[in-house]
Amino acid sequence: MSQIFSGGVFSSDLSDGRAGVEIELLSSHVCASTAEGDAFVIPYEQCSVEQGGYSGKMLFCRNPDRSITIFSEDPSFLAALDEASRGLLSEQLAAERAKSKRQSRRGSLFVTGIVVGAAILIVLLYYGVRVGADRVTKALPVSLDKQIGKMAYQAMPKEGTEVHDPQLVDPIRGIVSRLAEHAKVEGLDFDLHVVDSPTVNAFCLPGGTMVVYTGLISASESPEQLAAVIAHEMSHATLRHGVSRISQSMGLSAAVSLIIGDSAGLLAAGEEFFRNASINSYSRQQESDADGEGVMMLHKAGIDPSGMPGLFEVLKEEHGEVPEALIWISTHPDHETRIAETKMMIQSLPDKNYDTIDLDWSEIQSRVTNSVEMKSE
Amino acid sequence: MEAELRDKPSFANLRVKMQPGDAIVAEADAMANMSSTIQMTTQWNGGVVQAILKRFLGGESLFVNRFTTDQGGELVITQPYPGDMACLELKGNTMFLQPGAFVACEPGVKLGLGWAGWRMLIGGEGLFRLKVSGNGRIWFGAYGGIFQKEIDEEYIVDTGHLVAYEPSIGVRVGMAGGLFSSFFSGEGLVTRVNGPGRIYLQSRSFGGLAAWTNAHL
Repeated sequence: MSQIFSGGVFSSDLSDGRAGVEIELLSSHVCASTAEGDAFVIPYEQCSVEQGGYSGKMLFCRNPDRSITIFSEDPSFLAALDEASRGLLSEQLAAERAKSKRQSRRGSLFVTGIVVGAAILIVLLYYGVRVGADRVTKALPVSLDKQIGKMAYQAMPKEGTEVHDPQLVDPIRGIVSRLAEHAKVEGLDFDLHVVDSPTVNAFCLPGGTMVVYTGLISASESPEQLAAVIAHEMSHATLRHGVSRISQSMGLSAAVSLIIGDSAGLLAAGEEFFRNASINSYSRQQESDADGEGVMMLHKAGIDPSGMPGLFEVLKEEHGEVPEALIWISTHPDHETRIAETKMMIQSLPDKNYDTIDLDWSEIQSRVTNSVEMKSE
Repeated sequence: MEAELRDKPSFANLRVKMQPGDAIVAEADAMANMSSTIQMTTQWNGGVVQAILKRFLGGESLFVNRFTTDQGGELVITQPYPGDMACLELKGNTMFLQPGAFVACEPGVKLGLGWAGWRMLIGGEGLFRLKVSGNGRIWFGAYGGIFQKEIDEEYIVDTGHLVAYEPSIGVRVGMAGGLFSSFFSGEGLVTRVNGPGRIYLQSRSFGGLAAWTNAHL
């Protein structure tokens, strides 16, 4: 029994060149009949088949001179045509099936390629802009660091009142000056502020604005130990870690504008960054670099760099568990590693006779009004 | 219902002389003027879900307006941009329209959505096509002139110029030539259409207008 399928026909014999038809698959030919009674016939042996159309699933049967095209989108039309033609069209139909599969596979590959390509491009663009911004930042004059540092210092909350006692501040300023002579970058002003706070911390903002808390002075056993922390913090400024971190924290658009020469975004991001982020929020690599540079500065300034691992030892022994007040050490890589690393750095330095810092350290410490408040467990 | 396309091809608009009981459905904001004897009701463009899909995927309006009259009257419907309009009479067959081309139809016409394929999105042609089927006349518009072409083999149309086509037409997006010529000839991606069937093309494209305007800003 023949099957009927709905479909259409294209023929120049029709007034509009096309009509909707009912397709009947007979024993020797495919026959399409319009509602008006016109019939179009293609014998199977003369039929060439092709799959296509909007959906890609439409099957077209054409006569040799292509004057008649009978088509249907019925999903079972292809199999029925294969059966009705008794193998005459099998080869063509198999080729069309294979072509359809190939196209669908190519389509999937194309879309996957586009999606993966777009994802890779976005990632590359993101990191490219970040790296580009970092490079540009490093190429900017240090006057920009100073501007950021001053803005940040004014904007940031202070943990205590500034100490102006010359007997306490001047000796520390002396240590800073001694180290500043060996700064890796010229043009930085290491402007020291001693702040009355039990916090065991010190930091140096971009451009050289520096804060040392009295808590750190009390915790240091010798001026060399304090000098080690100061050298480490000054190294963050000389290695320009602050602006590097700011450029990393900037939005992509600000980073792009920096690359094309507009540094206003960097200034705004700098103020925002230091107002909201922890002062010591540098990466581990930056901390290690600052340790290394700090050791080098101490060495060049003739100050014994063993003050650095020395301070770590003291803090470790006295406060195994790092209490909250010891911010300086708690935001840095674990002190065991740092002790080992800094000791190795010091060993690799050429031999030198270091001058002891000639200060009455206990007298200086006695001028610190606040004692370090440790949190007991 | 008598319908006449006027001011062709640049500023085509549709004047409909409605008899009592006649109805016509038009794209939101397509009415330019009408007799006070005609009532306008706003309806979802084929149900809430369908309307939302058509709006966001087919580039059509969320709502369509249905104009009816008890006493007869005149209605003028237009499209928002300059260009030609054309009429198609559906007799149970289907047509696909590019997003935004639909202007008006008789109530017997069903408006649906047809999946166009991911490649069409890459070609900037949108993921879906408006699929019109049923019985009745449909009016669609284009930017620039509209011309129709019967195709039998592969035919190449620049993206943005294809307005309408029959379901027997296979459509895919590809590069205009090799990688170099595709990107430096200004042609970029093109639409490759395969017959047999009829396609309707517009002589200008919005992308071309936007690029030209941009270059002169």
